[in-house]
Amino acid sequence: MAAMCLDNFASQISEKHNVPEIEAYTTPEVILNPLIISRNENEQVLIESSINSVRVSIKIKQADDIERILCHKFTRFLMMRAENFVILRRVPVKGYDISFLVTNFQTESMYKDKLVDFIIQFMEDVDKEISEMKLSLNARARIVAESYLNQVCII
Amino acid sequence: MIILEPNNLALQTCLENCFSSVKKEVVDITLVDFDNVLYHVSTPILTEKNLIWVSIKVPCFKELERYKVQEIIQKEYGQYLHPELKVEDDYSVTFQLDLDALPENSDELAKHFSLLKRNIFLAPFVQAFNYFDTKPEQPGEVMNLSYRDGEYLYIQAMEDRITVIFSTRFKDEMDRVFGKVFLQEFVDARRQSLVSNAPQVLYSTKEPPLEIRNFPEQNHGQDFSHITFILFPRHFKDEETKYKTVSQIQLFRNYLHYHIKCSKAYIHSRLRNRVVEFIKVLNRAKPDTSSQAEKKLASGRFFRQQRSSLS
Repeated sequence: MAAMCLDNFASQISEKHNVPEIEAYTTPEVILNPLIISRNENEQVLIESSINSVRVSIKIKQADDIERILCHKFTRFLMMRAENFVILRRVPVKGYDISFLVTNFQTESMYKDKLVDFIIQFMEDVDKEISEMKLSLNARARIVAESYLNQVCII
Repeated sequence: MIILEPNNLALQTCLENCFSSVKKEVVDITLVDFDNVLYHVSTPILTEKNLIWVSIKVPCFKELERYKVQEIIQKEYGQYLHPELKVEDDYSVTFQLDLDALPENSDELAKHFSLLKRNIFLAPFVQAFNYFDTKPEQPGEVMNLSYRDGEYLYIQAMEDRITVIFSTRFKDEMDRVFGKVFLQEFVDARRQSLVSNAPQVLYSTKEPPLEIRNFPEQNHGQDFSHITFILFPRHFKDEETKYKTVSQIQLFRNYLHYHIKCSKAYIHSRLRNRVVEFIKVLNRAKPDTSSQAEKKLASGRFFRQQRSSLS
């Protein structure tokens, strides 16, 4: 929440520009220290904040091949629809699976606490969704295999 | 819709329609089946509408001929073969049906023709069964069939069993991962008592099974998935069981890939729903601007409407 205290800040490099400083990275004095919240090395959240923008990057748990591919599909699916998710970044920060970019204009026009709620709920749901998809894939595979073998089974 | 049918429903319906139509019409229909098989139902001579041709195109027909596919065609459909054994351009076999001289049960005939692909692919299996019936002392030769571009099927009759090996290939990474899950289940499912009589299924991705290691296509380090079915004598003890087993085994590759596609479709629709949910959550963060305009008066009318009626 503290990272969400954003201000309007015009670019000091080029006149009449107003860019998210965390993305532009041209004015080092307005960039704050990045923060990593880590459960383990596979599940991390990186929060990089600056005077007028904050970037939240999430690394999603991927235990095996299936989870990796499901996670990849899921994040790609979301990022292709980034224009609907105002705060979603089209490309994740290197080393992470998905990134959000919140600027001061968004915190001004939307409820800050709801934005935080969204990011938190997102983190909770992603893991749940991926493990549910994995379970349903396994269940399907079992049914498929059983019904096939049933056909060739001689009573 | 879990199990695929061995016959081609489209061909069956198409023939049934031809057989039952009172006014004979000119037909020219191309139908497709699994494994790049193509059917063509047509009226060759416009003045003789009672004659229709049914042609089938099987890409690996040359290989099937090695396993005496002609004998099977002769046995199953002999009387319908084209009288001069003419074959339509680009197709493998052509049959000629006379609509004026159909047998009583024409639906049966349509059904029989819809099994055309199954019966043509039966050839190497029949060879294996015949070899097995001679009670051989040593394993028979390995019959190979490139039933699809770049994918192979091997059949070998042993002293006490028949092995069928599929070398299939997954086009993209997601298919490969899903395929692995599915194939693992095929191997594991047999442990259940319910299906313990089913043929044994083995599966490997890295090393091709010993029997087929000598084939040139296996030596290029390609990313094949090998699935081996081991058929024991109980799986081909009589004609009916034979047909049943072979029908299912033939469809294995299609069945597997069909269900992989289905799972992908399911996951896709799931993701769509989830995205809609997420957008709803995000929209809660946006201040509600519309509620101001929709304010109602005590009488139940809209505030906006009231104003416009006054002006």
